[in-house]
Amino acid sequence: MATVQERGIVREQTVQLLVNGESHSVRVQPQWTLQYVLSDKLGLTGTKEFCGEGACGACTVIMDGRPVLSCMMLAIECGGKSIETVEGIARSNHPLIEAYIKYSCMQCGFCTPGFVVTAKALLDRNPDPTVEEIREAMVGNLCRCGTYPAHIKAIQEAAAVLRGGGGRE
Amino acid sequence: MSSDQSPKTDQKQRMLEALDNKVADPHPLEQYEVIGKRGVRRTDGYEKATGAARYTLDVQLPGLLYGRFLTSPYPHAKILSLDTSETQKLPGVRCVLRYDDPELPEGASLGGHELNNVAPLPAVAYFEGEECGAFVVADSEEIAEAALKTIKVEWEQRPFLLDVEKAIEPGAPLTNPEDYPGSNVHQVYLEGHGDVEQGFAEADKVVEFKWTFGLNTWIGPERPCGVWRWNGDFAAVWVKQQRPHIAKRAMSTWFGGIPMSHIDIHCLYQGASFGGWSQMAWNLGGHYCAAVASKRTGRPVKWVFSRREDFYGGNMDAGVFYVKVGFKLDGTIMAVAERGVTLNQMMPTFGIVAHLLENTKIPHVQGRTEAVWVNKGHNVPTRCEMNINCYTVNLVFNHVAAALGMDPVEVALLNDGAEGHDMEWLNARKAELGFEVRDSLRECVEKGKAAIGWDEKWHAPGAKKLPNGRMHGLGFCWTHEWDDSAGSSEIGIMFERNDGSVTILGCRADVGVNAETTYCQIAADELGVPVETVRFKHQDDAGFYTMTPDTSTNLSVNGWAVRSAARILKQKLLETAVAPRAKTQLTSFPPAFPDLRPEDLDVRNGVIFEKANPDNNMTIADFIGPSGAQGPLTSTVGEPLLVGKEGIGYPYRGTPPMFDHGWHIQRGCYLGVRLKFCRQAHFMEVEVDTETGEVDIRKVVTVNDVGKVINWDGCEGQAYGGAIMGIGRGLIEEVVYDPRTGVMLNGNLLNYKIPTMMDYGEIETIMVETGMGYGPYGTVGIGEDVATVLPALVGPAIHNALGVWVEGFPTTPDRVLQALGKA
Repeated sequence: MATVQERGIVREQTVQLLVNGESHSVRVQPQWTLQYVLSDKLGLTGTKEFCGEGACGACTVIMDGRPVLSCMMLAIECGGKSIETVEGIARSNHPLIEAYIKYSCMQCGFCTPGFVVTAKALLDRNPDPTVEEIREAMVGNLCRCGTYPAHIKAIQEAAAVLRGGGGRE
Repeated sequence: MSSDQSPKTDQKQRMLEALDNKVADPHPLEQYEVIGKRGVRRTDGYEKATGAARYTLDVQLPGLLYGRFLTSPYPHAKILSLDTSETQKLPGVRCVLRYDDPELPEGASLGGHELNNVAPLPAVAYFEGEECGAFVVADSEEIAEAALKTIKVEWEQRPFLLDVEKAIEPGAPLTNPEDYPGSNVHQVYLEGHGDVEQGFAEADKVVEFKWTFGLNTWIGPERPCGVWRWNGDFAAVWVKQQRPHIAKRAMSTWFGGIPMSHIDIHCLYQGASFGGWSQMAWNLGGHYCAAVASKRTGRPVKWVFSRREDFYGGNMDAGVFYVKVGFKLDGTIMAVAERGVTLNQMMPTFGIVAHLLENTKIPHVQGRTEAVWVNKGHNVPTRCEMNINCYTVNLVFNHVAAALGMDPVEVALLNDGAEGHDMEWLNARKAELGFEVRDSLRECVEKGKAAIGWDEKWHAPGAKKLPNGRMHGLGFCWTHEWDDSAGSSEIGIMFERNDGSVTILGCRADVGVNAETTYCQIAADELGVPVETVRFKHQDDAGFYTMTPDTSTNLSVNGWAVRSAARILKQKLLETAVAPRAKTQLTSFPPAFPDLRPEDLDVRNGVIFEKANPDNNMTIADFIGPSGAQGPLTSTVGEPLLVGKEGIGYPYRGTPPMFDHGWHIQRGCYLGVRLKFCRQAHFMEVEVDTETGEVDIRKVVTVNDVGKVINWDGCEGQAYGGAIMGIGRGLIEEVVYDPRTGVMLNGNLLNYKIPTMMDYGEIETIMVETGMGYGPYGTVGIGEDVATVLPALVGPAIHNALGVWVEGFPTTPDRVLQALGKA
C-alpha cells in the first residue's frame, strides 16, 4: 500500500525472475503480487486475476516445477525463481494447446490459461492421469462457464500425444 | 441457391424480409458443408488457450490511471458531508471527483436496456457496498484504494429492510424514499388467461405450495471495468459490456452530446457476462466518471470494481412464491394461480407463469408479481429472465404428478400445448407456418429417458434406499427452447483483395458461446468458401452493430443478418463475374465468364465455376485481384493494358470492392408474438444423505431441441456448461446478508461457492433437430436454457429421493434437513 511505502516499512527492491526461460530484472514494491508483476509489468496478461485470494486457480503459474497461485505470492519473495506461464507453455508447442482448441475447452476464456498451466503441471508429474486424478488435480481451477467436461478429454489427449501414442480421433 | 431463391436487391423487399421472422425458413441451403459439421476449429481457440486473448481488464496504455469508487458501509444511508482534503494530498492521487462536483450532473444515461437518467455519483446509498460520494483516480489501483480510506464521511443512517415480505407489511419503513416515496412495491404485474376460479371448480383435486428462491449472482471472472481515453475531441472507450451499441448510444448523450462518429468503442473478449452487469441501470457510471477524470488529467483512466463489488448485483429471480394448482385425476391441469413477491427485480414484466402460458394447454392461468425494493443490490436478468418461470413449470408439474402418484413425464406430455390450446391445435399452426410437424417434447423425453434409464430406475417418492445408506432420486423437468428478445443486427461482409478471404464486420461482445465461429460457418457455406478463410472482426467499432449475446437471441437475429449479407454478396460476385469489367479509352475488358448468366455459375471452396462445365473456373482471389495502385499489379486476369509513353504493361484489376451488408430485426418474441414449437427436457439422478442433508448429483441428461445444430461445440458447450452452472444455482449458490447490519457476508469466491470439477457427476448432452425454430435453417437458441431450467430440477429429484418437498432453493443441506424435520 501507499502507506507502507510512505512509512518505509519495506523498501522497493530489484528481483531477478527467470520467466519462461528469460531473465528479467524487475523493480518491485513490497506489496506487489507475482500475478500483478507478470501481467502488468512484464505484459504476460495470460496470468489472470479472477478471485484475487487463492480460490480459483486463474493465476496459476509453475514455479520451480510446482503449480502455484501467483495472486497469493509476493513478487519480492520470488527472486531467483524459475517461473513458467501459459505464454511459455504455448511457445513450447505443448500438445495441451491444440487439445484445448480441439475439445473447445474455452468459453469466455478468462480462466482457460490457468487450466492449461495446472494441466501442464499435472502432466509433468503424471504422464497418464486417470479421470479421477485429473478431476482432483484440476479441482482448484474454477470455470463459471462450466467447461469442465471438455478439459478432461483434452488433458487425456495431450497426455497420449506426450507419451508418443498420438491423439484420439 | 437456385434462381428462385435469389436475394432481392430491391431495398423495400429487403426491408420486408428483414422483418419476416415468424415463419419457417423459406430458403434453407440445399447442401451443407461446414454448417452442422463436427470438429470445426473455433476461431477464438488459440488466443484463449495461449493467454493471448485480451480482455478490458488487461488494457494497458501509456500514462494509464486507475479509478475506484467510495462505497457505503451501511445498507441505507445519506452522505451529510465529505472531507477529501487528505485524499488530494496522498502521493500518486491524480484526481478526486466528489458527488457535489459542479461538472457531475444530477442524472445522465448510464446503461441498462434503454436511455435512463441516474446520478454518476449519488449522495444516498440504498444498499451496503453501493458506489456513492467519491471517485478517486491514482497511479495504481492500490493507491486509489488506499486513498479511499482517507476520505472522512459523515453519514446519516436510515432504517433498512432486507426481507421482501417484511417490506410489504403495513407501516414498513421505506427502503428508497427518493425513487419510491409511496411504497416499497414498485410495480405489480399481472398476466394470465382464462378464469382460475372456474378452473379450480372444475378440478378434481387442488394442491397449494410455497417455494422460495435465494439470491444468486453471475460471477463474471473479469471484474466490471472500463477504460476512457480522450484523443482530442474523440473518445476511445474500452467496454466490459455485453451491449456495446447501447453503451455507445448512452455515451453519445453525455457532456451536451458527443456525435456517435466521434466515439470509438473497443469491445474486447468478455470475461463472461450472463446478462447481469451489462443490464444494470448504473453500469456506465464508471465510464462517466472516468471520462471526466480523463479530461481533467489529460491521461487515460481505467475504472475497476473489486471482486466483492461485483457480488452486489444479482439474479432478478429471488423472492417468495405461492402456488395453487387444480387438476383432474388423469393429470390434466385445469388451473394454476401463482403470487410472487420478488426482490429488487428491475423488470417484473417477464412474469412468473409465462412458460405455463406459452407451452401448455392449461386453460386457466394467473400470475401476480409484486416487485419489491429492499436494501440489497439491484437484480437483473442473469442467464436469464425465465428462471422463475422455469421453476414454476417444473414445480407445478412435479407436484401434480406426486399428488396423483403419476410419472411426471406423462403429466408433461398430457399438458403440452400452447397458450391454452392442445397439441392438435399447435400442430396445425406448425403446418401453417411451413414447419415439418413433429412432436418435439415426445422426441426429447424418449431420448432422455433412454439415456438416464428412466423406465428401469424411476420409483415412487422416498421408495429407494441404496446400499450406501443414501436415498436415490430421479427428477425430470421440461419447457420450451427459446430465443426470445427483440433485437436488431447489422452485419458488413467483404472479400478481401489479394486472397479472397472473407471479413465479417459487426461490433459485438464475445462472451464465449462460440457464436463467432458459427457466423463464419454460415458465411462460408453461403459464399462457398473454406471456413478457415472467414473471420468475424467483432471487437472494433466498424459502425455495424449486431444483436448482443442476449436472451439466447444471438443466432436468431445475427444468423439471418450474416446469411442475408452473404447471399447478397455472392450474387454481387456472380453478377460481376459475367459483366464487362471495365472500358478504357484504349480497350475494353471482357467478362471473366463471357456469354454466361450469373445463374450459370456457382462458388465452391473459394472457386467460381460454370455449373455445366466445372473446368471453366477461376478462384475468387484471382477474380477480385490484388490491392494497391502504385506499380505493377499482378492480376492474372484480363489482357495487359498498355498505357503511358513507356508502354508499360499494367494488368488491370477491374473489379469493384466486393462488400455488402445485411440486417435483421426481431420484434419482441414474448408471449403472443410467436408460438414456441421446440422443447427441452432434462433428467437428473441424485443420492441424498438423510443424516447430513447433502445432495450428490450422480448424473444429468440434458436434451435440447435446438431446431438445427450449426456449431456442435457451441450447442453442447451451452448444454453441459449450463448444466454445471444450473447445478450451482439450484444446489449451493446464495448471496447472504447479515440481518442485523445489512452487510453482505459472502462476497468472495471462498464463501460463495460455485461448482468445481468434482461437483457434477456425469453429464450427457443430447441434441434433437426438428427444424422447428424461427432462426435461419430452423434453429432456435440454447445459450440460456439449460442453466436456467436445470436449477429447478434439483427440487423434484430430491422429492423423489425423500418423499418430502424442500421449500427453499438453493437446496442446501440445512434446507434438506429442515424438510426432513431434522433442523
